Amino acid sequence: MSIVLDRLTKRFGAQTIVDRVSLEVADGEFFVLLGASGSGKSTILRLIAGLTQPDAGRILLQGRDVTHLPPQQRDTGFVFQNYSIFRHMSVADNIEFGLRIRRVPPAERARRREELLDLVDLAGLGARYADQLSGGQRQRVALARALAYEPNVLLLDEPFGALDVKIRAQLRRSLKAIHDRLGVTTILVTHDQEEAFELADRIGVIERGHLLEVGAPEELYTRPRSLFVATFLGAGTVFVGRARGGQAHFGLLALPIPAETPHEDDERVQVLLRPEEVTLTPDRPADDRLVLGQGRVVEQNFTGPLRRLRLRLPQLAATRQLAPPPPFGEEGLLVDAVLPADLPLPSEDLWVGLRRWHILAPPHPRVLVYDTEAGPLTALALARALADRLDASVTLVGVAESADGGEALRAALQRRQEEAGLAQAELRIAFGNVMQQLALEQGQALYDFCLLPASDHPATQPVRLSDTVVNLLSRTMTPTLVVKDKDYPLERILICTAAGEPGKSDVRIGGRLARQVGAAVTLFHVTRGASQPTPLARSHLERAAATLRALNVPTEVRFRPAQTPAAGILAEAREGGYGLVVVGSHGPHSRSVFGLDDVTRQVLSGTDRPVLVVPADEG
Amino acid sequence: MTTTTLATPAAPRRRPAALVPVGMLVLVLLPLLLLPLAAVFVFAFRGGLTAFLSALNTQDARFALRFSLLIAFATAIVNAVLGTFAAYVLSKYRFPGERPLGIVVNLPVAIPTVVVGTSLLLLWGPIGLLGRLLEPTGFQPMFTPFGVLLAHLFVTFPYMLGTIKPLLDELETTYEEAAYTIGANRWQTFRHILLPALRGGLFTGALLTFAHSLGEFGATVLVSGNLRLRTQTAPLYIFAQFEAGNLAAANAVAAVLALLSFVIFFFLLRYTGRRTEGRL
Repeated sequence: MSIVLDRLTKRFGAQTIVDRVSLEVADGEFFVLLGASGSGKSTILRLIAGLTQPDAGRILLQGRDVTHLPPQQRDTGFVFQNYSIFRHMSVADNIEFGLRIRRVPPAERARRREELLDLVDLAGLGARYADQLSGGQRQRVALARALAYEPNVLLLDEPFGALDVKIRAQLRRSLKAIHDRLGVTTILVTHDQEEAFELADRIGVIERGHLLEVGAPEELYTRPRSLFVATFLGAGTVFVGRARGGQAHFGLLALPIPAETPHEDDERVQVLLRPEEVTLTPDRPADDRLVLGQGRVVEQNFTGPLRRLRLRLPQLAATRQLAPPPPFGEEGLLVDAVLPADLPLPSEDLWVGLRRWHILAPPHPRVLVYDTEAGPLTALALARALADRLDASVTLVGVAESADGGEALRAALQRRQEEAGLAQAELRIAFGNVMQQLALEQGQALYDFCLLPASDHPATQPVRLSDTVVNLLSRTMTPTLVVKDKDYPLERILICTAAGEPGKSDVRIGGRLARQVGAAVTLFHVTRGASQPTPLARSHLERAAATLRALNVPTEVRFRPAQTPAAGILAEAREGGYGLVVVGSHGPHSRSVFGLDDVTRQVLSGTDRPVLVVPADEG
Repeated sequence: MTTTTLATPAAPRRRPAALVPVGMLVLVLLPLLLLPLAAVFVFAFRGGLTAFLSALNTQDARFALRFSLLIAFATAIVNAVLGTFAAYVLSKYRFPGERPLGIVVNLPVAIPTVVVGTSLLLLWGPIGLLGRLLEPTGFQPMFTPFGVLLAHLFVTFPYMLGTIKPLLDELETTYEEAAYTIGANRWQTFRHILLPALRGGLFTGALLTFAHSLGEFGATVLVSGNLRLRTQTAPLYIFAQFEAGNLAAANAVAAVLALLSFVIFFFLLRYTGRRTEGRL
């Protein structure tokens, strides 16, 4: 292996720019790091060259650990986007600089210089200076300069970024040819998908410091695992539906889920439809198992050989659109398709079917955090822990009473967000009624968890639950974390269960969370007065424990006699050193007139630990 | 609507309306700048060239001019090195206290030179804070050529820094990083990559330092003790001769100083002019 990166990490302040990136690049490979600007891809290149020091992780070049070596001793060739040709030196002197530093005799230097000038098609221009060269020529000089001393690896940081399209295409071909000839292990960083496809043996897609996926261009295009890679590499339509019984459901359409991307029941499932995999027919196909529905062409673009079409279809039940981005305030699903440009459109209304589709890996959990200026920072700390351990994407929502207070609130929340190390989380400011806005936000996106502080005034009224908490819990169908102003490590989770509860979703969701954060679970039951649970409760606990064991979560079962269930739960939560208490809650239809059932409410008021309230399944 | 665009090279036509403001400007500048400059030469050559030369040809005058040139030369060289070093550190390293330090090193332009002289005396003088400690060694920097050099280094320090630091700041960091990845160490990078890029700035900064040192008066008069044939610089000589009523001697040296300044200024103007042209 020419280049090995081992859990490479770089932070700037509270921001993690490169997050545990591991990668192996083979001898002679042309590897492309592809990502949007600010994704951390250039930082990785600078870490390899030694221009930036990592906070953690190791870098091996040709089997040699260079993590703590200065750039001079790493033997890399680096080409910068801005060329950085030494202006006071001629082209020849630029190319020879590395050889002169290495005390190569003049005759040998001259021979090598001519060879390189030839290689990069600049023969005869050795006497020129940078300001007498075009941008493309300068970049060729930079390439020759970096190759002159025969480095072990060649690193190119957006080398064609500042050039126009035609020159770029020329340079790409030259670079490919040079690489084929020299066989030097190369990493190129770019945001240009086309460039990556054309040059790479393998591509690594970087987003927000994470190396999401690595693979050959074709593999990544046809079989991406994540939504980001699916949409970053080429066009396509992505829908979210629900998994059930090994199938992905989008309205009446059910697509089998392949074994390599297993989904649990009720989990969100994303499907990718590349435009060329979508079939369009004027009449309803006879075999309608793979038909999305009838749509109308809303957009068409001529792109030379192909005509790109966008169709709008009626909304499918329990299906949400992720890509192309759904226009605000419009209903229906958008599907992108292509047809050969010389094929006339038979009609504006076409039946949309699937030739192929691709189920993406289960998406990262999404967490909604309601934050206020005065709320405890512990809610944000817990959100950070979830973001880190579940790889969850976090959305912060603040609600201002009016537009006037919006900017101040945004600034305040931004400060808190950075303080809590959540700078990468999305921040949204809504206006008006807190309850309505939170319900709206929950409705617009599927969240796996909602997280909010227990009290609006933690300093003065730590015990009093805010109206927001009470109202939200009496209505929401999203598992909700209520956080007090104390921090506890998420190592042990207490799941409280009682026989005869309408559902088992608290055990399942609590257990899944425990598995993802690597916590141990105590399954807990309060026996009223008696020292042993009833046979009914016992069998319920056994089944719950079996569910947890199936999830591979270390599980312990405990009973405790107490006057009331709430008293028992509170005592256990206090004494057991738990980082999280999970309680169930009835579905909205059967919730009592007070909104929350008593036990849940008493536990929420009484404990100082975070509580996860899991609404029961409907039906 | 009348044309109000400024004269451009494409339209070198002079507008008649410009006569009034230009005339006014010359009228203001005449007594303020031009006449005093002329006066120096008029007075210096009033007695003819031989009188001028003989006024210069006294031992004191020759010493003062030689001493001034020597000090200016030494100041320019020492500050070229110190100023470049300071500019390099301030431009390339990030450290706590960077901003305050950046202000302190530029402070000499703002402090009255007399205050500089006083503070140097209070530090290095025979009863000064450090001067007292030097007493047993028998070395006293004040009232010696070394003391004059100290004062000039202090007063002219910001000029070198001020020309070099912007150049270093402007140079993209990848310029050096390219050299590092190629294998050049910090010194090689400085020597082969940075220094050539700073050549123009070094020349400009050194000339500025030289010019300011040549004319320095306020600090010098205090730390030198104004000892003839020992620490008397040209400006001090002019002042002393004036006080003694020896106008011819004073004027002759003043004319030489003015001439030197013109020459330096001419070089500065040509050099910086060429550089900005090249950039446009």
